[in-house]
Parts: sequence; structure tokens; C-alpha cells
Amino acid sequence: MARSAPPRFVVRTTVATLVMVAGVLTAVFVGVTINVRDRVRGAVSEKLEAGQRMLSALEERRARELSAQVATLAENSTLKAALDTYQAEIGTANAAFRREMLATIERELTKLAERIGPDILAVTDTSGVVLAVAGRRAADWPVQTTVRPDRDGRGTNYVTTRSGVYRLSSSPLALQETEIGSLQLARALDGRYAQELATLSGAATLIVSDQTVVASTLAGDLTKDLTPGVLQSLRAGADVTLGDSDYAVKPLFQDGETAVYALDSIDASTRAPMQKALGAVFLIAAGSFALAAFASVWLARTIARPIDTLSTSLSEMTASRDFDNPVKPTGFSLEVDTLTDAFNTMMRSVAAAEAETQHAYVGAIRALALALDARDPYTAGHSERVSALSVAVGRQMRLDATELETLRLGALLHDIGKIGISDAVLRKPGPLTPEEFALIEQHPGVGARILRSVHFLAPHLPIVELHHERPDGNGYPHRLRGDEIPLLARIVHVADAFDAMTSARAYRPARSGAEALRELWRCAGSQFDAEVVQALAAAMPAIEIAPLEDMRSVAAITPPRLAVVAGGARG
Amino acid sequence: MAPASITESLARVLSRGPVRTWVACPAAVVAITVATTSAETSSTVRLAAPAVGRIEGTVRLVAPPGAPIQSGAYPSRRVSRLTPSPSEIANVVVFVKDAPRVAALPAGRAQMRQEDESFVPRLVAVTRGSTVEFPNADPFFHNVFSLSRGATFDLGRFPRGESRSRTFTRAGLVKVYCHLHSQMSGSIMVFDHPHFTIPHADGRFVLADVPAGEYRLSAWHERIGESSKTIAVEAGRTATIEFALPVETR
Repeated sequence: MARSAPPRFVVRTTVATLVMVAGVLTAVFVGVTINVRDRVRGAVSEKLEAGQRMLSALEERRARELSAQVATLAENSTLKAALDTYQAEIGTANAAFRREMLATIERELTKLAERIGPDILAVTDTSGVVLAVAGRRAADWPVQTTVRPDRDGRGTNYVTTRSGVYRLSSSPLALQETEIGSLQLARALDGRYAQELATLSGAATLIVSDQTVVASTLAGDLTKDLTPGVLQSLRAGADVTLGDSDYAVKPLFQDGETAVYALDSIDASTRAPMQKALGAVFLIAAGSFALAAFASVWLARTIARPIDTLSTSLSEMTASRDFDNPVKPTGFSLEVDTLTDAFNTMMRSVAAAEAETQHAYVGAIRALALALDARDPYTAGHSERVSALSVAVGRQMRLDATELETLRLGALLHDIGKIGISDAVLRKPGPLTPEEFALIEQHPGVGARILRSVHFLAPHLPIVELHHERPDGNGYPHRLRGDEIPLLARIVHVADAFDAMTSARAYRPARSGAEALRELWRCAGSQFDAEVVQALAAAMPAIEIAPLEDMRSVAAITPPRLAVVAGGARG
Repeated sequence: MAPASITESLARVLSRGPVRTWVACPAAVVAITVATTSAETSSTVRLAAPAVGRIEGTVRLVAPPGAPIQSGAYPSRRVSRLTPSPSEIANVVVFVKDAPRVAALPAGRAQMRQEDESFVPRLVAVTRGSTVEFPNADPFFHNVFSLSRGATFDLGRFPRGESRSRTFTRAGLVKVYCHLHSQMSGSIMVFDHPHFTIPHADGRFVLADVPAGEYRLSAWHERIGESSKTIAVEAGRTATIEFALPVETR
């Protein structure tokens, strides 16, 4: 089952941080959206309320001023005289004179109207019948009929006529504290008035009278949404929905069936602050993401780098198997350094244990090899000598420490397979029969089989198994050729032959080193690897003059050189 | 203008509905009931050639339950009175409506002062050809003008102590006002005959030397209205009559 590699630490922290930041920002966004809308609703409501208060105060003042104005106008002596004289003539036959009096009244009204520019300025008799009228909308005012306020009251009243709704201020026309009629000053609640209020309040204005829209500054398509139900909720003071937008509503003033409302779209008002708030949120979001990304990368690096450094050191150490040099503490953090220390301690223990185990093995095997060599007085110390010689040659050939170590132990064990060959064959003083020789040829394979079970000796197996192969392919057991034979096996092959030749046998005396070298040179390229022979030759002085430390113990058990009878091929 | 048409038009003027104006009348109830002298006990009966009789009676003003003037935010200007307001009865004139026009009438003089921003008396009744003086008793300027059909005039402004006058040559009602004080108003009744009078403060009036005959007798108040009754005047006798203004049974 393939297990994909876990993500890098930096990916984890970055993703975690960004997800967290995104979550927080989403919450902020939602919060801001709701909050802004709520605040705007409140603000719109407050604005309308402020407008309402202001306009109410303004209108109240205006109404008072209108009352004052109409009261002042009602002191016009000509108007009163003409009205009184007109009324005194009622019932007489002289209609022309009455018309003249009415004309006088009208002329006087027109003069006043020109000065103050009202919508309506009218004179009525004491029963409210309109006698004369002037003003911008004089044509719309009913004449010779009664104009009565929608609701009896003092001061400002609302009047509904065929031509629309008017706000009416009136003042009695009095003579000697007796009322002879009244003067009416009326303001049409029309589009113009609505527009004026809208400009003052900064909100759309709607004038409703008797469940009918009289005037409105709302867009035309919204006005048709003003159903009786909507007007009912307006009256109740509830917010309404016109088109697709919610509108906050405040009555500017209300009197009987006539009411003036200010409306403001909450959605339209929300747009600008929302855009501002969202702009700020996005700015914060970008900043947060950048900061979060930077922080998470930094954090990840802070944590991951010492771990990286540590793991690099560990893998280097593992590769080199150099347990003696502990991993240096990184100094990034206490935890990582503690881990490093623990690892170093552990590795030291492991290395010690391994060394001990290996040492025990090597000791056992070495004892075995020595015991084997000791079976025959002629070969006593052979393995030790071959080992020392091989190392000398290997050193000459500039092999590295690991290879030299492999060479040393491999050479020591190279003849271990001879354990399976009977003494009769092994110690036979005369020439061997082909059958006996076949037995001798089995010893590399036997040695390899014996050592295969020891795991850490795997690198040494080729030496044991192949130390009788010859470059010309005439060796045994596999008849390998030239470079097919590992270098270490070739070295041990040469060293084995050299030691065999320089050792005495029962059937021949020992030859000198120079002699043996000559023999080796003679067979170099065919029986022996030429390069190795050359290296041996180069190393000879060192061997002759200053025997290696490894050879010292061997020298002690070296028997006196005996005459060499035959080549070291059997060795 | 023919006398008949004058009286007719006067009658029209005076016959307008009282209801319209009495509402605002501030006067207190003036109810004076006077025992009338009987015709039999009258000692002023003259049996001489001009067969004239005498009319005696009372006028009673019945003010409506107090209804104040409907006013705007600012009440009309009121002036504190230095002198008590004369009884409203002084603003009533009792006259024979259908008395024949007298061609030669003595030119009389009457006075209508301007005092406390009012015309005092508010009602003056004169014969045709009489002159009415308008002296100013207030410490400020006044003006007198009229738009009435019988006499349209404007006497201009004049200060305290000065006086303007105007002679009225046509019978009828002349209403006078002041341009400076718009609440001021006064009425001048100009008659083609001498058979008219303004009752005493107690409501009693006497019309002497009325030619025998049957007449319509009117009591008229400029705001409250008019009440007319038929009365037969016998030579050398006294007829009695009572008026109530406004007419209660209406």
C-alpha cells in the first residue's frame, strides 16, 4: 500500500492560518454587513426624525407666521369697509353697486396677494361663503360656496376641495369687535409644496389626504405601489416596501385625514456606507492575509529549519555510519536541541552496542580462523598474515577506510571454508589427486555458505567466495574473468599466494619475498591481477622493514621458514 | 330718486337677516319692559287740522347666549375704554319705514366723535341735508371715509382737536370707517322725513307728530338686525308698540 508523503510543515501552517483568517474575515464581513444595515436603518430613521422635528418646528412657526400674517392682513381697512358696505347693500336692488363693492374687495385682495404671493387669499362672509379670491391658484378656489375645514379647529386647518388639499389659515375680519367675515390664506399641498419639503428634509415627501396620494416626490413607478394597504401602514408609522427597497417613514405632520410623510430608502442609504465598510474590510482582509501568510511561513521556517538541519545531519551520519561525531545542536530551539542530544545519546549507545556485537563476532570468527590455521603447523598464522598483507596492498592502492576494514576482516576469514576439508587432504605432503583437488576447490563456496548467516559480514562474502578466481578465467569456483572479480578478492588472492610462497610446506621450503614477487610478476595478468601485484611490489619495502601493527602478533607465532616445494596455488 | 324707492331700498337694507350678525354682539342683555301709557289716558291728543298722532314704545335687546368672537392666533386689537361703553340701545334707531318724503326738511347738525378708537356715538340718525361733524378727541390722527352708495367720501387724516364734517344729501345708510384704525366703524342713517328717533337708555322712545295713518314701524340695529311692525296712528291719539331685537320667534 503506497502512502503519499505528508505535506510540508510550511504548507500545514500556512493553510491553517489562512483558513483561520478567512473564517474570521467572513465573520467580520457578515457582522459588518448586518451591522452597517442596522446602523443605516437607525441613522435613516434618526435623520427622518430630525427632519421631522425640524420641519414640524418650522411648520409650526410657519403656521404661526401665517396666522400673524393673515391677522395683519385682516386689519386692512379698505377690505373691511368694502366688505361691510357690500353686506349693508345685500337685499337692495342695486346689483351694480354690490358688484362694484366685490370688485373693490378683489382689487384689495389682489394688491395684497401681489405682495405676499400666496396660493390662495380669499374673503368670506361670517358663514364661510367665499366672496372674493386672489392668489396664484385663485382659479381653483370655489367662489360663492362655503369652504369648511376638514376638522374644526383653531389656527391651521386642512381643506379638501375639488382641486386638491390646502392648508388654511384664517382670521376674522372684525369691526368694533364684531366679526363681519374672515380672510383666508391657503397653501396648496401640491407637488411644488412636496418638492419644497423634500428639499428641506432631504428625503422623499408624500402627501396623503383621505387615503389618496395628493402629491409625491417619489419616482413615478414607486407611487403606484402606494396601495391603500401601504397607506394604512404609513399611517401606523411602520416601514414600507416600495419597489424592491425598504423605506423608513416618519410623518412630518398629520392632521385629521391629511398627513405629510418623509420617506427614505434604507437600501439606497446603505449602499455608500456599505461600500466604504466593505472597502475597509477588504483592505484589512488583504493585510491580514499577507500578514498571516508571512507569519505562518516564518513560523513554519522557524520550526522546520532546525528539524531540516537535524534530519540532514542525521541522514549524513547514517550514510557515513560515523557515530563517533555527534550531531551538532542547531541552537534554534531548546526542544530541537534536546531531541538532538537524545538522538546523540541513543546513537552512541547503539554504536557501542553494535561495536560490541561486531567485536564479539569478529573475535569468534577470528578464533575460528586461528584454530583452522593451527590444524597445520605450516599454515599457522597464515590468515593473519594475509590479512595484514592485503591491508598493506589496499592502503597502497588508496582504498578508503571502509574498504580497508572489509579487506582486513575478509582476508582474515578467507580460508574459513577449509573447515570442511579433512586433515588428510589438507595436510597431505604429496601431490593431490584430482578428487582431493576437487575437495580443495570447494572451500571458498563452503566459507561463503558459513558466513552468509552473519548479516554484517555480507560485504566480506565476495572475498571469501572469490579469492581463488583468476583474471584469465582459470580460477575457481566460478571461473570469473578480469574485472568480474571484485578488487578486494583479487588483492586477497595475490596476498594469499605471496604468503603461501613465502611459507614453508612439508614438501618444500619457504621462498624469499623477492623470489615470490618474481614468481608473482611472472604470472601477473594471467594468474594474478597485475595492478595488485604492482601494488604489492610497491608496498614490499614497508612490509619488509616495518611490519604493520597487525602483523606483530602474527610474527610471534610464525614458525621457522621451511623449504617451499610447490607454488602457493594450494594455499 | 323717488321717495318711495328710497324707503323701499332702505327697507331692503334693513331687512337682512339678523342671525348673521347678532352672534357676535357683545352687548349685555338690555331688557327693559316699560308699562306703556294707554291711548285713553294720553293728554297730548291734538285735534287740530294737521291730524297727527303719537307713537310711544320700548325696544328690548335680547342678546344671545355669549358666543365670543372666533379669532385667529392673534385677537383683534382692543382698546381699553376710558369711558363706559354706551348701552347698545343707543345703536338702535326706530323709524317709520313708509313715511312719505318731505320735500323741505330743516338741515340739522349732528356730531360723531372719534374717541378711544371708536365712533361715538356709533349711530347717528339725521334728516337729509344735515351735516355731521367728526371731531377727533383722541391724541392721535384719525380718518373718516365711506364707500357707501349714498355718499362716497374720504375726509383725510386729521389730528386731535380738529374736526371734519360732511353734509348728507341722499337718504340711506352711510357706513363710515377709519383708514388708520381698521376696527372702527360707524353708521349714519339719513332720512327723507323726520319720523325717526333713537331710544333712551331705558329703551323707551317717543315719535310725536306722526301723520295719522297706517305705517310700518321699524327698529333697526346695525348688527343685530331689524324688526318691523305695522302700527295705526290715529290723529290725536297715542299708539303703543314694543320691539324685541333680535326677533325672538324666528
